[in-house]
Amino acid sequence: MMEVDDAMKHHLSRRTALVLGAVALLGLAPPAAAQDGYPSKSIQFIIPFAAGGGADIEGRLLAKEMSKVLGADIVPINKPGGGGAVTYAHVKNAKPDGYTLAWNSTSILTSTNLGNVPFKQDALDHIGRVEWQPMPFAVKADAKWKTFQDFVADCRAKPKTYKVANSGAGSATHVAAIALMEAVDCEVVHLPVGVKRRNASVLSGEADAMVAPLTGAINLTKGKKLRLLAIPSAERNPVVPDVPTAKELGFDATLDLFRGLSVPKGTPSKIKAKLAKAMTAAAKSKAFQDLAGKSGFTIDPLPVADFERLLNVEDAKVKRIMQSAGLYQSKAAE
Amino acid sequence: MSADVANGLLQSIAPSSLTATVIGAFLGLVVGMIPGLTISMGIIVVLPLTFVLDPNVSIALLLGLYVAGMTGGSFSAILLNIPGTPSAAATAIDGYQLARGGEAGRALGLAIASSFAGGMVSFLCLYFVAPSLAELALSFTAADLFCLVLFGLTLICSFASRSLIKGLLAAAAGLAIATVGQDFVMGTQRFTFGEPALLSGIHFLTALIGLFAIPQLVDNLRSDAPGAAPARAAASVRSLLPRLGDLIQIRVPLMIGSLTGAFLGVLPGAGGPIAAFLSYDYAKKLSPSPERFGKGAIGGVSAPEAANNAVAGGALVPMMTLGIPGDPVTAILIGALLVHGLAPGPLLFLENGAFAYGVIFSFLWANVFNLLIALLAIRFLVGLLRAPKFILMPMIGLLCVIGSYALRNSLFDVYVMFAFGLIGLAMRWLKVPVIPLLLALVLGPQFEEHLRVALTGSQGDIGVFFATPFSLLFLCLSAVSLGWSLWAAGRQASLSREAAGRPAE
Repeated sequence: MMEVDDAMKHHLSRRTALVLGAVALLGLAPPAAAQDGYPSKSIQFIIPFAAGGGADIEGRLLAKEMSKVLGADIVPINKPGGGGAVTYAHVKNAKPDGYTLAWNSTSILTSTNLGNVPFKQDALDHIGRVEWQPMPFAVKADAKWKTFQDFVADCRAKPKTYKVANSGAGSATHVAAIALMEAVDCEVVHLPVGVKRRNASVLSGEADAMVAPLTGAINLTKGKKLRLLAIPSAERNPVVPDVPTAKELGFDATLDLFRGLSVPKGTPSKIKAKLAKAMTAAAKSKAFQDLAGKSGFTIDPLPVADFERLLNVEDAKVKRIMQSAGLYQSKAAE
Repeated sequence: MSADVANGLLQSIAPSSLTATVIGAFLGLVVGMIPGLTISMGIIVVLPLTFVLDPNVSIALLLGLYVAGMTGGSFSAILLNIPGTPSAAATAIDGYQLARGGEAGRALGLAIASSFAGGMVSFLCLYFVAPSLAELALSFTAADLFCLVLFGLTLICSFASRSLIKGLLAAAAGLAIATVGQDFVMGTQRFTFGEPALLSGIHFLTALIGLFAIPQLVDNLRSDAPGAAPARAAASVRSLLPRLGDLIQIRVPLMIGSLTGAFLGVLPGAGGPIAAFLSYDYAKKLSPSPERFGKGAIGGVSAPEAANNAVAGGALVPMMTLGIPGDPVTAILIGALLVHGLAPGPLLFLENGAFAYGVIFSFLWANVFNLLIALLAIRFLVGLLRAPKFILMPMIGLLCVIGSYALRNSLFDVYVMFAFGLIGLAMRWLKVPVIPLLLALVLGPQFEEHLRVALTGSQGDIGVFFATPFSLLFLCLSAVSLGWSLWAAGRQASLSREAAGRPAE
């Protein structure tokens, strides 16, 4: 009996598929048909930064784990450029069918406020957040400043003397550095040395300090080459529990680096729900957790509603910081 | 410590590691040979595969690919005058002339032997002086790097060939093109016309493919054109083993190339092309017969080939000891190791000493197998290039399109590549040398970056460029290089007046 039932179902579903296929050929496919079959082909997973960096390594692993959940190939593609703008513009203009994903990060706020593309973060639909990490303020291990307060006192006494390196003008680390230095009320010279030379510039003494993603500074810190003085986060980080937050030292500056997924605006909500489920499952997979433990980011999936709230809050913050530093050039229609 | 060395050696000669090295080396030769497919791209393609392999096996595979890719780039440079990798652009100058003269086999053999020599020098450097070298390079500031790049730019004069004015014009055009994209100090857009694809500027590889490959393809369409003989040149690969006389003759260029490459490899961001061009230039300047360069000098093949393979070992130094990449490939290698939970950096030698030495020895084997496979497989590889022109040329055209697309997964870059093809044709027609433009494109972004970071740091005080011994050294070298080039140009001009009537290339 069971077998017959199964055969019947199978038969029926095949006939349904045939009918639906014919309808689709006539161009009359109801949207529901496409959603039920999702995913029926490989999905492009666009990474806004070059191969080899944190965004790339973490993104590739997440894509691999997600493809296991969804049962379809997810192909990671690097489209670097414009601090992420190239990827966001590409995904914004892609078909809203769930087959093009953007592996977003805080760069979706910085590149839009910098005016690299004529839209804001809300020009895309979002799936959710996957992970985040703090952006610590670091100095050389043998620097004269033992604590963040040491640096602040020294810096206030000698404005425009000390140099703080970041990953590039208008990058998340630059914005975090500006926010931090505004909060402690001292003037420094921001050096946009780029990712490649950021750590090297601190070790060589060319820069006195830097703001870097934790994953980019953790190994040199463990190797006793760098010392982390403070993190502009709301709470202490489990990866570096003895580094104080700027807030507990009395300086109001918070900006973390997040990563998550976005899709073109107008993607059907069923597909978005499916992607969100796969994203969360992949984020909690053993492989991804292992990577997090090794490289120092925190897995903390946020559903879309919370993620959008976070994006709005952070966007306003980035906009304000960029405006005060003269970097704000958003070309989005207000 | 010595136990680590022994264990590392054992790890590197495990059958699985050696097999991986061989496969990597073969892939590297193919990837390097195909214009537009870079070593970075080859590594990215096999990277997911390495996630499931043991870390020492996967690093052996990747190092094989890295080392052989550097050598493979010279094959198409010599046979087709289309450098397979940017680092092989300098090799094309004399290598292609040799091939046209029916000496393709000699040029290829020398390129392979020089690659091996460069690789071995940088292995020794990696093994013995890695830590101190890394510390030295790390103390380079933006001002020092600016002076280094300035030194690199002075090479334009000696690559300007017959007309200094045309060379400088081409270089100025290259520097102007290098300003396209986002200003990285202020974040403003320059010459992007609202096109996001232009935000990160024009990739010099896209330009390189267009500038070199398109004119070459057009030349091949006109069957009577002088440059139309790559297929025949490829057919004449007979004896690959370099003659003893040749080896003795190239000992100075080899040394220049190996040492320049190993040192520049250590500097973050300097990379293969600069090392190749620099050592080509110095091989020429120190040669007893510099007038042979550009017309098929064997020193002009061996110096850049030794240099670009030496860069590979050099670039591993800061990667292994500090976790700072020396070039784009090592940046990807760091990522590959992180996936395995091995963080290159000051801790690597302490915590995973055996693995660290395993990497160093795998680099040695990569060079050995590169030599063997290149010598054995070259007939087969060159056979690919010997296919009839009506098959070969469309395939090269296709690979140029794929290569320029795959660089950043951008169709826009394909249009840019074709635009540079037209520029390359126009330059050939106007007899404007291409190399100065290319050099300016490669160095332009670094030139601006280091200049502006240095001046931002010093708050506008240009004294910063005279503040350290390194910057002073490079400034002096720039002055010497400039003076030398001008003197040589003057001498050549008077020589060519005597031998008037010679057609330009």
